[in-house]
Amino acid sequence: MSAQDKMLHVANRLGLTSLKDMQGTTRMVYDSIPTVANTFTFFKGASQRAFPLTNVGANGNQFQVDEALLVEKIAFFIPSDATGVTYVGTNGFQAVKFDLVIGNKTVIKDATCEAAGEQAFYNDGNAPSFVIDLEGVGILIPPQVEYYVVAKPFNGITREASAQRLGCYLFGTGALLNFNTTI
Amino acid sequence: MANQVQKLSYVDAKLGVSLPGQQTTRVIYDSVNAGAGQGFFEFFTNFAGKNEFQTNLQTNKLDSAESMVIKSIQIIGNFAGTPTPASLANHLNLNVTVGNQLVIKDFDPSFNASTRGLAFDRLHSGANLANNLELRLLTDIVIPPQVNFKATLQLSDGANVAINDDITIIFKGYGRIFSAGNSF
Repeated sequence: MSAQDKMLHVANRLGLTSLKDMQGTTRMVYDSIPTVANTFTFFKGASQRAFPLTNVGANGNQFQVDEALLVEKIAFFIPSDATGVTYVGTNGFQAVKFDLVIGNKTVIKDATCEAAGEQAFYNDGNAPSFVIDLEGVGILIPPQVEYYVVAKPFNGITREASAQRLGCYLFGTGALLNFNTTI
Repeated sequence: MANQVQKLSYVDAKLGVSLPGQQTTRVIYDSVNAGAGQGFFEFFTNFAGKNEFQTNLQTNKLDSAESMVIKSIQIIGNFAGTPTPASLANHLNLNVTVGNQLVIKDFDPSFNASTRGLAFDRLHSGANLANNLELRLLTDIVIPPQVNFKATLQLSDGANVAINDDITIIFKGYGRIFSAGNSF
């Protein structure tokens, strides 16, 4: 099953009959909180933050009508300062434990994005990966359903909580609104 | 949609483009010379006074028998601001519009700049540069013949852009160029 096939299958099951006519795209949303903490909730309340801290805009943590994102990768990054302009990927052996929640359903539960994880198949130069590839085809965030990520940074070696600034992106195949008719 | 060749044929046919044309690999680009502190750039809308290496188009549309599928987008910066030059490794906001349709929306390609373990691609050997990145798209996006298109890019550290800095955007992919299939 391709990414497009999964999007259309889920959309059809949810009664979103017009999603198949929308503009296909490559899409990513990100959110960052430049305050050092032990627990973060990304995307919820992100409409109160502005670029470059987030790119979700006024719609916050839900997509517009007939817009969707099939999440295929999730990554965590560390804002360098309170402005959120610059960021880094790794900070020693920082790792992140996280949940992804869509609507009322937890779709990824107690997963970890380990420091230098995915080294069996992920190559970003010599840099340890801060990305987790979703197995299978991915998970669809449908239109107008709230989503958020709860994340807890920790030291991947000592396995102890480690307070950080933190950011998160969701990347994958998307759909953008396309009226397909005159209005 | 099976592949880029079929998708281009499908979209062209839907738009009434009947000529098959010569299949090709197409690269189009546009470069913008910045003003001091300029944080927002618009590409493929102004071609006046640019040389052949700054842009390879004369208008913001492909010719009547030409079309292409965008497979990847490269962005190159020439930044010389002091004390801190602007950087493509800081947050960006990229939008691409074809016709009246937004086809890339609020995308931040900066995660593919340099090698920080954050790239979208599994195999990202990367140039490890903060001023040169490439993004491989997951879906085929078609620029049909004779339809306006443009790209906009916002830099989060636009205040660091110096006068005469340059930013170039490059669309690469599969395309078709005119082939008469006959003698004139």
